[in-house]
Amino acid sequence: MKDQGVIQKKVCMLGGSSVGKTSLVKRFVTGQFSENYHTTIGVKIDQKSQCVDDIELLLVLWDVYGEDDFQKVRASYLQGSAGYLLVVDGTRKETLAVARQLHTLAAQSMGPVPYALLINKHDLSESWQVDSEMYEDLASNACLALPSSAKTGEGVELAFAELASQMLKV
Amino acid sequence: MGVEDPYSEILNIFEALIFQVESATQYHTMSVLPRWYPTSLSSDHSSADPREFVQKSFFLQSFLQEAEEFWQAHDQGKLQSGLWSEQALMGDESYLEATALVQKGQRFLIIQRYQPEMVTIQPVLQKARENHLAHGKELEVRKDVEAHLGSQLAESEQIRDDVMAVLEHLKLATVMIDENSVVTYASPAVFHQFAIDTQSLVGGLWTQVLPLIEEQCSRVQEQMTLPEMGRTSVAVSLQKKQKPWLEIEVEVHDDPRDQRRTILFLKDRTEIEDLRRQLIGHVHFEKLIGKSPGMQDLYQKIQEIAPVDVPVLIQGETGTGKELVAQALHRLSARKGKAFVAVNCAGLTDSILGSQLFGHKRGAFTGAVSDHEGYFEAAEGGILFLDEIGDMPLTTQTTLLRALQEGEVIRLGESRPRKVDVRVLAATHQNLQNLVEKGKFRSDLLYRIRVARLQLPPLRERREDIPLLSEAFLGQARAVTRKFEVREISPEVMQILLQYPWPGNVRELKSTFDFALIHCHGAHIQISDLPPEIGGPPAVLVTPRSSPRGEREEILAALEQVRGKRAQAAKLLGMSRSTFYRRLSDLGISSEECSR
Ligand SMILES: Nc1nc2c(ncn2[C@@H]2O[C@H](COP(=O)(O)OP(=O)(O)O)[C@@H](O)[C@H]2O)c(=O)[nH]1
Ligand SMILES: [Mg+2]
Repeated sequence: MKDQGVIQKKVCMLGGSSVGKTSLVKRFVTGQFSENYHTTIGVKIDQKSQCVDDIELLLVLWDVYGEDDFQKVRASYLQGSAGYLLVVDGTRKETLAVARQLHTLAAQSMGPVPYALLINKHDLSESWQVDSEMYEDLASNACLALPSSAKTGEGVELAFAELASQMLKV
Repeated sequence: MGVEDPYSEILNIFEALIFQVESATQYHTMSVLPRWYPTSLSSDHSSADPREFVQKSFFLQSFLQEAEEFWQAHDQGKLQSGLWSEQALMGDESYLEATALVQKGQRFLIIQRYQPEMVTIQPVLQKARENHLAHGKELEVRKDVEAHLGSQLAESEQIRDDVMAVLEHLKLATVMIDENSVVTYASPAVFHQFAIDTQSLVGGLWTQVLPLIEEQCSRVQEQMTLPEMGRTSVAVSLQKKQKPWLEIEVEVHDDPRDQRRTILFLKDRTEIEDLRRQLIGHVHFEKLIGKSPGMQDLYQKIQEIAPVDVPVLIQGETGTGKELVAQALHRLSARKGKAFVAVNCAGLTDSILGSQLFGHKRGAFTGAVSDHEGYFEAAEGGILFLDEIGDMPLTTQTTLLRALQEGEVIRLGESRPRKVDVRVLAATHQNLQNLVEKGKFRSDLLYRIRVARLQLPPLRERREDIPLLSEAFLGQARAVTRKFEVREISPEVMQILLQYPWPGNVRELKSTFDFALIHCHGAHIQISDLPPEIGGPPAVLVTPRSSPRGEREEILAALEQVRGKRAQAAKLLGMSRSTFYRRLSDLGISSEECSR
């Protein structure tokens, strides 16, 4: 497909609507954040290269609809993923349940691939609603679980880097 | 496919990338490169190989696997990818959609780019399609199309079939017009989509054979005189039996083979228009907001009652929007261009209300310094809305009854009746039947005004509409206070709004937002911004922390008070949420206990 030689890995962004998936990708790919909220329509594909111990990796990030529309997303969009980022909005604990559903769906269509769990919007600490006990189940199998912020960049690089290195090991 | 072939040239106008698919690796390009084709792949459009596009797109590579399965399993039909965007490939965030089409075993891959406005319409269209499907309509239409296309295809050359199949998919009804304004060709889609017999079109002057009114023809004609680049599409409605029937859009193109000839594309907008109306209708109806079953039911009844020229009694608690219902009835009635006069009957004495409604002659009473026409006369030809009719004094009721029965009013101090043609709508929050029993309301008047009745549900019975209403009121209050930075309602506030009993109904909700906006600093409306009766500490105070009661009891009491809402309970106890959760688990309070 692309230039031979560079290893490509497909990564899906999964999480309820408005948890910050699109913003996290944007922060990771362009280093920017914008407050404007644009509902992602369909599938949005971005890419960024990432080095893991001198090995260059092209991460192809698939950002799909929010959970509300997830029934309409073909399971095939998830197929071929080498890993995924599961995103929860730390200021809305109800997004945990959505993440759980998507996690199950992902396991079905991707098999046991590595994933990182991000509890996003950590900059909004005054309205924080979740603590680690509430997502223990999701965190226990994740290669990394940590609070993040697309706004400040907290945790973003780390999550993608860790996920990339886990995907290489598989 | 030869360039001289007229049909393949038509395909070029669609600005789509079209391939005929031989096998998983063999593609033939059927169209020239669309203008949106990324320059990164072709500095020179003529030498670029569009197959590169397919190879470079991560999305298409994935979609093709699915398409392959589809093509193998089907002989007829299509598979659509849904919208996607791929910045690294396109250089921008534009949306694309791919379609795997198979027609009589021939496979095609079509890639279209959507205008930004199309993207907003897309979900609407999607819904429309689902609706159609639900009604089994699509199936019927498709059968019809297939049958018709089948016979057409049988007698055409293969190459033409291919183009036709693609054209048909693109759902474009095409009409070709020669230099003498004569229709030379009309595509099958003209027939399928608009039920216009294509045979009746061919050979006639387009201005005569197309079912358009003159004014619309001249608007289309106007576009023909403009250079291709400067044209816009024209919205017109096809006529049937001299009545507007289908809303369509006409796009005017030059025939690529001969500039003097024209190709018209007719695009069906009805589906979109209908659906937009329907969707909007679900959430808004005139100025009423709400998608709950109660409101849907009300919208339905308003539509039924409005055209029937009888009095209507609108019942509902205070603040539910009775006047909005009256306004909706007005706009949907035959009296819509005429007056709408609203009078509140509450708190007025018999003589003042009487003179306001029926008018008075100069000197009829102290202070009547000039002749005065009453609201009845002011509403001539239109609608008089009598709010709080239950508060109307008995004497006025008697006069009103006569006015309704005779269709005439007599100004106070005069004896000459004046004819009036007014439809009366009345509203009340009271139970008029009870008032009749207490002798406070005339039963004959009641029977007269409640020929038709509408009942507005209280807000607490349609809580599902609270988020929608809140959004609307937030927007209104934001505009009034010019605090555009206030963007959201915090989840805790929404929780409270959803649970509050709203004795003042929608009006109270609206004023809550007016209040909150004034007090809000920052992007989110917080609990502290709400009026005290709504957001303030609950009336029953929780025992302070220093009480001898154990912490466990204290937490349980707080939880009980806020019906298990932990975030609120934490606030109530002055703890941060994480501390609160920790205490819950330390004290072994289970979630069942929380929600008890
Ligand atoms: N404060 C804050 N806001 C965020 C953060 N991430 C996303 N948002 C905002 O949350 C909203 C939804 O984000 P978006 O990325 O579109 O969510 P998606 O639906 O999951 O793709 C937008 O208004 C973002 O600006 C974050 O880390 N902190
Ligand atoms: Mg998104």
